[in-house]
Amino acid sequence: MTRRVLMLVLLGLGSVGLAAQSFNLEDLQIHGFATQGFLYSSHNNYLTMNSNRGSLQWTEGAISLNDPLSDNLRVGMQLHMYQMGQIGGPSVLIDWASGDYDFREQLGLRAGKVKIPMGLYNDSQDVDSLFLWVLLPQSIYPVDNRDFDLALLGGEAYGEQILGPRGGMLQYSAYYGESTLDPNGGYNLQLQQFGLIFSSPPSGRVYGGDLRWVTPMRGLLIGSSTQSQALDGTAPQGSLHMAPNFMDAFYAEWKWKKASFEGEYWRSPVRPVLTIGAEVVPISVDSRAWYAMASYELTNKLQAGTYYSHYVNQNADTSLAQNYSKDWVIAGRYNFNQYFYGKLEGHFLHGTGLGYYASTNPNGLEPNSNMLAARVGFAF
Amino acid sequence: MRRTSSILLIVLGMLLASSMSRAQEIMIVTNPAVSVSEISRDQLRDIFTGLRTRFADGSRAMPVLLKGGPVHEVFLSRIIGNNPDEFRVRWRRAVFTGQGAMPKEFQSEAALLDYVATTPGAIGYVSRVPDPNAVKVLTVSMKR
Repeated sequence: MTRRVLMLVLLGLGSVGLAAQSFNLEDLQIHGFATQGFLYSSHNNYLTMNSNRGSLQWTEGAISLNDPLSDNLRVGMQLHMYQMGQIGGPSVLIDWASGDYDFREQLGLRAGKVKIPMGLYNDSQDVDSLFLWVLLPQSIYPVDNRDFDLALLGGEAYGEQILGPRGGMLQYSAYYGESTLDPNGGYNLQLQQFGLIFSSPPSGRVYGGDLRWVTPMRGLLIGSSTQSQALDGTAPQGSLHMAPNFMDAFYAEWKWKKASFEGEYWRSPVRPVLTIGAEVVPISVDSRAWYAMASYELTNKLQAGTYYSHYVNQNADTSLAQNYSKDWVIAGRYNFNQYFYGKLEGHFLHGTGLGYYASTNPNGLEPNSNMLAARVGFAF
Repeated sequence: MRRTSSILLIVLGMLLASSMSRAQEIMIVTNPAVSVSEISRDQLRDIFTGLRTRFADGSRAMPVLLKGGPVHEVFLSRIIGNNPDEFRVRWRRAVFTGQGAMPKEFQSEAALLDYVATTPGAIGYVSRVPDPNAVKVLTVSMKR
């Protein structure tokens, strides 16, 4: 059903463009990337990989097509494939596929499958080549669950307003649509561990907005996002129901000469209710997550940085390791040329609240673990 | 003695390259139909990094780039404040999130000038303009 809607939206937008001018393949842009990751952890298996023994089970790739049909209209799509331990798989996902009409600086419309602007990196978190880090702060951008958080099927209105010579610029966007759990993603795997196996993945309405101020102080950006998400699904063994819940984000970024500083705070209280046979299992999570990061460009090719990422479930006993996750990270990235790069990262993980699954840790979890992560990639 | 001369030559070469880079002339050119004749450095930076899509008069701006070379590098470091890798990452972010398309790139200044001359809203940078009637040369001001 969702594929049919997507095709119709794209065909509709494409035909508008074709009516406006004949299709010109000269302007078609093709870009892509491929990456290979490696994890080695001193204790526990992380992100469904056998990381305790050292694991290379992390491969990703994407191809992106983009065609500006006219000055104001652009159509495009991106296909994405990833395998990370038991998550992901060989099937190719539509990362985004949209038509984009830019009426004027203050208003543009995007429709189809569009990425969700939330915080600094939600919409770009699956594009490894953009970051110094092998893993973005997992308290806010959990890599095992990102395919649900990344995009929606619907539309987005966006724009920007210059605030005068000394006011900087406001950038804003609002979106509405439906998002569906990735059948091979982390949330679905967690539901399977509760005994719920969905033949059709749960989905729900999502809407929200993002407002960011590009301040007149060079390099300083501050912003806030909010989002409402509902989720429902029925499996032979029971059902999942999550009433609409609001998630809020506040963030700032400051780039000064060769240094960058970023920070975010997200609060997301969620209360899904699982029904498994006759049993009703209410779950209550009040996630408070934040991170602070700093990086420096040592040479044109070499970057180094550090961050601290913090997650706690405020609705549970926060002294228990399963209800928090704290991660100190140091990282480096080297660009071999404009296409190839390599990254190396050390993690000092405390708590087991994020990224661990019973299926790959059958003997339980140690509260702390250190981890080495590496990634090489290619982008064009 | 031969080694000393070689070192001297290398140092002289480096000094010459460095002074050439400093002296590199950059001219900002647009299609002649663009109505603005002056642009600030901040506006230029915003247009070439995809932050803004319009000139100050509200008309559409379409940035175009040189593929590489000293003019490209000096333009990026002096006007945009980025090295080529940082600049590429900014545009890759727009491309891979579905928010934009990469600006057209040209191997030579002549090809870039031909495109700017015939494409409404096009804006680029070159070291010299052989035919001042074909394109418009903008004055770059320091104001915001």
